[in-house]
Amino acid sequence: MAKILVVDDESNIRRLYSQELSEEGYLVVTAASATEAVAKLAESDFDLVVLDIKLKSESGLELLQKIVKEKHDMPVILCTAFSCYKDDFSAWLADGYVVKSSDPQELKDEIKRVLDKKRILRQRSNIP
Amino acid sequence: MDWECCWNKIEVTPEECPYIVEGEEELYTIHKRRVMEKCLECPRFVDDLRRMQESGAPLTDVLTYIISEFRDQRAQLHSMGSFLNSKARESKFLHELSLVLQTSLDLDEVLSVALTAITAGKGFGMNRAFLLMTDKERHCLKGYLGIGPSNYEEAWQIWQEIGQNGASLAAMAKNFLDNKLSTEKAKFNDILEKLSVSLDDHAHIFNRALRERTSILVIDAFHNPEVDSRLAHILGVDSFLVMPLISRNRRIGIIVADNCITHKQISPQDMQSLEIFAFPVAFALERASLYERVQEDVDKLTEANRKLKEQQELIVRMEKMALVGRITSSIAHSIRNPLLIIGGFARSLLKNIEASDPKREYLESIVNEAKQLEDVLDEVLNYSDSLYPVKDMWDVNHLVTGVCRELQGALEQHRVTISIELAPGLPMAYIDYKQIAFCIRTILGNSMENQTGGSAIRIISRLEGDDIVVDITDTGTEIPLEAREQLTTPFSAAQGLGSGVALPLCKTILDRHGLPFEMESAAEGGTRYIIRLPSRKEES
Repeated sequence: MAKILVVDDESNIRRLYSQELSEEGYLVVTAASATEAVAKLAESDFDLVVLDIKLKSESGLELLQKIVKEKHDMPVILCTAFSCYKDDFSAWLADGYVVKSSDPQELKDEIKRVLDKKRILRQRSNIP
Repeated sequence: MDWECCWNKIEVTPEECPYIVEGEEELYTIHKRRVMEKCLECPRFVDDLRRMQESGAPLTDVLTYIISEFRDQRAQLHSMGSFLNSKARESKFLHELSLVLQTSLDLDEVLSVALTAITAGKGFGMNRAFLLMTDKERHCLKGYLGIGPSNYEEAWQIWQEIGQNGASLAAMAKNFLDNKLSTEKAKFNDILEKLSVSLDDHAHIFNRALRERTSILVIDAFHNPEVDSRLAHILGVDSFLVMPLISRNRRIGIIVADNCITHKQISPQDMQSLEIFAFPVAFALERASLYERVQEDVDKLTEANRKLKEQQELIVRMEKMALVGRITSSIAHSIRNPLLIIGGFARSLLKNIEASDPKREYLESIVNEAKQLEDVLDEVLNYSDSLYPVKDMWDVNHLVTGVCRELQGALEQHRVTISIELAPGLPMAYIDYKQIAFCIRTILGNSMENQTGGSAIRIISRLEGDDIVVDITDTGTEIPLEAREQLTTPFSAAQGLGSGVALPLCKTILDRHGLPFEMESAAEGGTRYIIRLPSRKEES
């Protein structure tokens, strides 16, 4: 069972994603801020992070850079309210991105795609 | 004494005085005039006078002096009369010339008048004339125009025409300007090229005439040490006149005139007359060339004003666009998250609710409305996305087919039929596929919205020059011109005719591609949209 960290400052979104992704069979942990996310990432291992670009008084992109620096094999999917993420090169560090939508199907598809890719890469390099 | 001459007879017969010719018959009876005009020149009278002198008549010597003096005075009077006549003719001609020159502001017209005046028989009557103008940029005297016949046959024909027409100088100059200027320029192109000379060649006779501000009459040009013999070879004459054109210390150019056909000697009087004529010509040439420059400046200013106006309009439009961008950015977050939560939870609840439950309908409405609002938000946010197109070579027919396939369901729902006529073998277009697809989708969507049930949309692709044209025509409501303009401005008053931002976004996208967006009334009613896509990459 893949373990996913959802980072979003909006409690209702955390609840919604948690519920939707749990139904898909993932183990979901949530964080309301970058600080909390860093702490949770330090506490245990995750297979993937779903990260909101714009967190209250913090930048999701800064957290993304930190994750890539410290846990370079950790896949991250960026969630964004609008698609100008492309203007910021640091966003290119993410493994995937989705525009936030009331229909979570796109997010689910993207999570599956990224996890499959990670699994295939691990198999190729014989990482257990 | 018997006199041989009839000087002593009051009246004479034609046999007595054979020197009276046709038209002078009155001299047979007017004694005094006959003596003054005929007898004094008559060889018989000279004989009579000699015989009278031999006979020792005392007054004969005095009479001889008087007669001799009278003849000289008369010759002088005659010469002065001729001179005055020629000056009167010259004044009249110069008056006519100055009138024509004063009214002309066109450089070629002034030149035509000037050179026609030099070569016309009623003017200065030279055979040929060349004008060289000072070119300050190239620092040279540049051959500009020549006029005159190139051989005797042509000369004969021209002189006959002039003789028959009896036209005024203005009419002759106009005829030259309208019918002969370009051919004369071409005819003498070679000579004009060879006559051109650098202003630094101080020894050259053209520069000398300009420097010394005086006309130079060149004679024996082939052997004249002061003249480069090449000049004589170029002109093919041994005598020619070099006349400087100077206006208010400005060296306008020079005129070179010769009698290449008749080889008539150029007299100092000819030179003097031409010098009088040189000043008004120089002045008119300067004025015309200044006018031409002013006209060019006016044209440049007009063009600059037009561009400025266009830029101002563009700035206003861009400011509106920038405002839209700022608004959309700021509202994106505030709207997106609540929409996600509302729609997401409704969707979540819907999964666990029975099909028969009446609440299901409400939840479905919430899900659908939230989705619709998200779509509108996406459309608005696409403004930001349209700023930087990513271009590549794409198949336009493939793009059109793809968009039509996407819209198939919606078209059927609106009961709109679509006919697609794609030209085979089109070259690839250099475009941002996603953005152009958005434009075509938007136009089709807009057309679809404006259709009354059962109508049609026609979409055609074709090649026009280097452009691939996508031509979309609908049979819906015809959009008036003003509304069409408003439709391409975001949040305009014509929103009712479109979705508000989609068509302005099309315009923004096409503007950023450097492409026009044409909207016009279709011949069969409805609206026609034309997009021209480049088949070549623009030069970097």
